[in-house]
Amino acid sequence: MKSLLGSRKLPQEFRLFGILLLLMLFLSLISNRFLTVDNLTNVLWSVCLIGIMSAGFIYSPITGGIDLSVGSMAALAGIVANVLMNTYGMNWIVALLLTLAFGILIGWINGIVTTKFMVPAFIVTMAAKTYLFGLAMLISNGDQITIMEPKPFLAIGVGKFLGIPIPIYIMALLAVVSHILLRHTVFGRQSIAVGANEVAAKLSGVNPDRTRIYAYVISSLTATIAGIVMASLTQQAYAMNASGYELDVITAVVVGGTSLMGGSGSVAGALIGAIMVGFINNGLNLLDMPSAFHPIATGIVILLALIMNQGVSPLTVFRKWFSRGTAVGTAK
Amino acid sequence: MSTNGKSELLLECRGIDKNYNGPQVLSGVDFFLRRGEIHALVGENGAGKSTLIKIITGITNRNAGTIAFDGYDVPLEHSKSASEKLGIAVIYQELSLIHGMTVAQNIFLTKEPLLPGLPIIDIKKMNQMAQAMIEKYGFDLKATDVIDRLPIAQRQTVEILKALSNKASLMIMDEPTSSLTATESERLFGIIRMLKAEGITVVYISHRMEEVYDLSDRVTVLRDGKLVSVLEGDEISPAEIIRLMIGRELTADESHHQMVDKSAGEVVLEVNQLSSEGKLKDISFKLHKGEVLGFGGLVGSGRTELMRAIYGIDPYDSGTIKYQGKPYAPTVEKSIASGFGFVPEERRLQGIMGAISITGNIGIPNLDSISNGAGFVSDSKELELSNKAITLLNVKPANPDVLVGNLSGGNQQKVVVGKWLIRNLKLLIVDEPTVGIDIGAKEEMYQTIERLSQEGVAVIVISSDLPELTRLSDRIIVLRKGRIIKEFTQGVVTEEQVLRAASGIVEGGVQ
Repeated sequence: MKSLLGSRKLPQEFRLFGILLLLMLFLSLISNRFLTVDNLTNVLWSVCLIGIMSAGFIYSPITGGIDLSVGSMAALAGIVANVLMNTYGMNWIVALLLTLAFGILIGWINGIVTTKFMVPAFIVTMAAKTYLFGLAMLISNGDQITIMEPKPFLAIGVGKFLGIPIPIYIMALLAVVSHILLRHTVFGRQSIAVGANEVAAKLSGVNPDRTRIYAYVISSLTATIAGIVMASLTQQAYAMNASGYELDVITAVVVGGTSLMGGSGSVAGALIGAIMVGFINNGLNLLDMPSAFHPIATGIVILLALIMNQGVSPLTVFRKWFSRGTAVGTAK
Repeated sequence: MSTNGKSELLLECRGIDKNYNGPQVLSGVDFFLRRGEIHALVGENGAGKSTLIKIITGITNRNAGTIAFDGYDVPLEHSKSASEKLGIAVIYQELSLIHGMTVAQNIFLTKEPLLPGLPIIDIKKMNQMAQAMIEKYGFDLKATDVIDRLPIAQRQTVEILKALSNKASLMIMDEPTSSLTATESERLFGIIRMLKAEGITVVYISHRMEEVYDLSDRVTVLRDGKLVSVLEGDEISPAEIIRLMIGRELTADESHHQMVDKSAGEVVLEVNQLSSEGKLKDISFKLHKGEVLGFGGLVGSGRTELMRAIYGIDPYDSGTIKYQGKPYAPTVEKSIASGFGFVPEERRLQGIMGAISITGNIGIPNLDSISNGAGFVSDSKELELSNKAITLLNVKPANPDVLVGNLSGGNQQKVVVGKWLIRNLKLLIVDEPTVGIDIGAKEEMYQTIERLSQEGVAVIVISSDLPELTRLSDRIIVLRKGRIIKEFTQGVVTEEQVLRAASGIVEGGVQ
């Protein structure tokens, strides 16, 4: 009721940003290596792949679905780009454009199967994750291929502009574009509407199938971009690259306040979520914790974020537990 | 026909009172069932039929009154599982059957026969037992059929078998024929008579008077939460039941609502011979500028299907539609662009987007007017529209940022209607516009519709609430089984006339 009567609520992004600042304060207190330009740049660099993926992935949960194929798509994109450039000797720009087109095609297939054949997105993209990984293995022979050429391509990942790595610019640019698309365009409104209530949206003139297909295309496209950046950054094309990244992307998006039930989402939130996960892992590194703690931390963070998003206060849960014990004894 | 010294009555409800923390839904209702009778329970929407059934089946508890079932005094704190143990079964359309399971698995769910000494289901025996039951009643089923593949009529017979296997002595059927074809309904009536021959009592709830008339041994009529009358034998006639259901003397205001002839106005919509297999047959009508055209009929008579076809949601097989004098092939997007508005039947499922703000809900069908050619939406224009709709319909709270899911039913409905009113609206279709909203909001809704009509908007109102239909309409078309059965133009129309037409009662008998 309070939120019903209250005036404009403080956007959730501010709250998240506050938590991020607290996290930074905490980390800077426990380690004097934390608050340095080098360290912060490193963290941003390490989260930029997740950030790039999240910017497009977010449309799948917003429209009420999910895209689990983003990790495999990224790995395959790196391999395809390398084959086009180095096996077929294509101009690197043409090769990258073709790779992007390939990503769009895969997203379109995911969208068509989900909407027109009405297969749940979870299954469709799980299948895509599997066959894309298989394709990546097939094309690369399962080898870790080192990419030595062409130089302009390698500059994407490791180059710097004004002292800041180029991938961070790409992440920032995609986040801004995605934010504007979601908040300020017809497509963004329609995505939210379809996720909130497909039937109501349809009766209000929205084409739910078309909106969903676009959502998977966008998700696949940013995964492809992330794959290209990753191949350039690691100078490597490998089917196991980015394996499991879909979970990191889901973590970032969910921590950022996007509902997995559809109908709400925040690109800024997802970006903050990605950075937060990066800081937590960075903190564990600075404290010299074994790497096994990273997945444990990620798992706990995603659970806590989901609990917070559900809006059930832990107090109520505990109260119910305790009252159950007493209610049995007291008959009316 | 008392048997073995048992009372002749299977169920005795006396003085049942119920209120849901507010208005009295049932007051002092008596309801008696004899053993092995087919007993119809009738009344208008809101008369209290469902509540009475819920009390008998333990889904909700009564506030006062006594219930005795087969000599057992049912306590105030009744429950659904307790009522099942007593032998009371409700036949739902399909709700309680589990998809993906076979007929036999559904019938014997939680009471499967086991292999001797083992916690393993004896599938062969279970299928044989089910098949034996099916054959005993001569149903058109196989024990191994999977539920999903069966049409609704056959799912119903599975429900009945399930109840029989629970040794039910009372079966309650709530509108069992609403989605059946005529032949399927006939078959169901045969089954009901067979149940009666077995000594099972059947409570039959239906708005279809001819069914009630054909089947019932006795009829209990409820009105406004009170028992009106119990009819038996020759007393039962469709016309008499309708008279008792409507009952009250109409007030001067209601009975003299004059329908106004607006056929002189420009024709906005013209529907010609519209047909859709199994749903609609040769529907033709004209709708004029500023006219409120009411559509009466029973649930399932084709009213909603007709409007969905006109608005462009569902395709139709044949016939033509003309809009503003030009041939019109509807799609939802085209309809919205041409000045249609559509308020669907199920507000929560089809109308609102609960997790989105009032502004978000209002903006969606208006994206055309608040965005530029490049697809960018203007927040300020959107907010302006939202505030306009809020003021126009007096939405409370008047805060455009509130999530629609947090509003009351009446205010949610205002948002669903309001998003159309800020457009250049020519034709508004409203399907059951006031279901589940309070009286104040209802009155406001009526005033809104009247105002729109004065402004020249053509309005189509579908309503099962007869006072509402007669109050709002300038003309009423009554549908029955997908056809137009009656049209009331000009003068005064009474609820009774509409209900008689909807039930197919014409001069000289039932059609």
